[in-house]
Amino acid sequence: MRLGLRLPAGGEPEAARLAEDAGLFGVLVDAAEPGEEVVVAAWVAAVTEQVRVVVRVALGCEHPVTLAEDLAVLDNIAAGRLVVVADTAALDAEAALEDLELLRRCWSARPVRHTGRRWRVPAGIEGHEAPDAVAVTPEPAQVDVPVWLTGAAAPALSAATGLPRLAVAPSESSPDPLVSPALGALAGEVEADRATVRAYAAAGATHLLVSVPAGDVSGHVTAIARHLAGEAAMPDFPRVVTETVPPPWPPAQGSSPAEELPR
Amino acid sequence: MRFGVGLWCLQSTAVSPRHHVEAYRQLRTDARVVEQLGFGDLWLSEHHFFYDGYCPSLLPAAASVLAVTERLRVATGMLLLPLQDPRRVAAAARSLAQRSAGRLDLGVALGYRDVEFDGKGVPRKQRAGRFAAGLDLLEATAGAPLWVGGATPAVIGRAGARGHGVLLSGANPVALVRDLASAHRRGWEQGGRPGGRRPPVAALRNIWVTGDAAERAAVLAWVRASYVVYAGLGWSVPAQGEHAAMDFRRDMDRALDEAVATTIIGPAPQVVDELAALADAGVDHVVCRVLLEGAPQAAVHAVLRRLAEQVIPALATVEAA
Repeated sequence: MRLGLRLPAGGEPEAARLAEDAGLFGVLVDAAEPGEEVVVAAWVAAVTEQVRVVVRVALGCEHPVTLAEDLAVLDNIAAGRLVVVADTAALDAEAALEDLELLRRCWSARPVRHTGRRWRVPAGIEGHEAPDAVAVTPEPAQVDVPVWLTGAAAPALSAATGLPRLAVAPSESSPDPLVSPALGALAGEVEADRATVRAYAAAGATHLLVSVPAGDVSGHVTAIARHLAGEAAMPDFPRVVTETVPPPWPPAQGSSPAEELPR
Repeated sequence: MRFGVGLWCLQSTAVSPRHHVEAYRQLRTDARVVEQLGFGDLWLSEHHFFYDGYCPSLLPAAASVLAVTERLRVATGMLLLPLQDPRRVAAAARSLAQRSAGRLDLGVALGYRDVEFDGKGVPRKQRAGRFAAGLDLLEATAGAPLWVGGATPAVIGRAGARGHGVLLSGANPVALVRDLASAHRRGWEQGGRPGGRRPPVAALRNIWVTGDAAERAAVLAWVRASYVVYAGLGWSVPAQGEHAAMDFRRDMDRALDEAVATTIIGPAPQVVDELAALADAGVDHVVCRVLLEGAPQAAVHAVLRRLAEQVIPALATVEAA
């Protein structure tokens, strides 16, 4: 299992850089208001190079074509590092499925033509000669943008599409899907956090995004890398390897036998 | 007079192909160059459903620029407001304004392509109403200075009356720029001078500094190619009073000639004189349109340096008439 960081509100770019430097697989942008998520994620993407930029987007707050455009631009800014957490939010399963399918159809590089209960694309509005399909551009950088599901209608959507759900407890994680993402919370205390990470790994989670207690993000990220990443990466992790403290470099004056080096 | 640069459209065209990842990477590189050279602002442009990936989503692109700069302002020129939910636009703008210490300028316009309205399911006849309601909401909650794009004295005058800045099209001849700038000023005065300080009139202009005949020919070909792209998008300039239309559909060659003729190009002293004439026409702020179809990034950076070193210092104390 791999670990990622749920970014603290307001300090996302700085925390994302710390997570990248510490070798975490990804960072989660989880903004309060619809609209904010895509700009914060774009900001994070611009100041990082390797981490996956995972962004929670509420379905139903915009036309799926507009959401698809925002997220495709974001994937290009992120050079193909985008992962979308689609939140069914206020939509029921049927409505959420229509929005999600239209959203993903817009990323397909095929002309988009859709008629459903909620949307008709193109709308075919009376009075002008619009073509019978639209090309939603640019395409995402990725061949297929990963989508993870959350929200009340996520189980139904997962069953209908085969996309993974974002588990929020070890009991929701499953060892069956190839990718089994999860969201967890760390307490900032090594023994308790080891137990949390081990519980998700044992339940079959593959990618665990963790929130950390407020304050000292740098310290928490360092602790994740040192004490928890290895715990997540292999069974029976030999904790002895976490105890080494490399000396500082260059060494402090007078503390090293520099004068004894051969000339 | 103040100076910005534009328009970044993030395309990959038939003439200048590139990966879109590279387009967004070049935007960030360009932004740092523009900032280092001392320009005040960088302008982004929006369209939808075009083969070249013309940027449909300006605020994420703006965020990526704000993330890698410290002083540069980033402006949307223009965000097509009737096509989006204004609450979502406002939330994004508010977040960016707050995170960037107020470096976002939010320019909004109506949009003109039928296919864009049809693709988003917005009846074209609703666009003015949606625009007005959206503007009310942005004024109250977006937390960024507002600009309006338009080409008619009515739209420009209304923007002045509400205290909003305006960006005038690069293809407008100077005589039309003068009429629109005065409509904006009159609107602001008749609107009771909201804000207490006259909002800016910005003009997009095709500008190039060169004394070299071969470079001049290349630049004019790039300008022409840029308007061919807009002709492909179906854009045209409607007639305004005594000002004739620029109609790319009915007579493309003539419209292209007229658009290319608006280019300010020559050695630095000539460019300074022509910009001073724009200030005399009522322009406070020039957005130098140097991102042209076919122009290599190195040529763009070279002309930005010439503008910064040879043109802008000469106009630092010039103010709009």
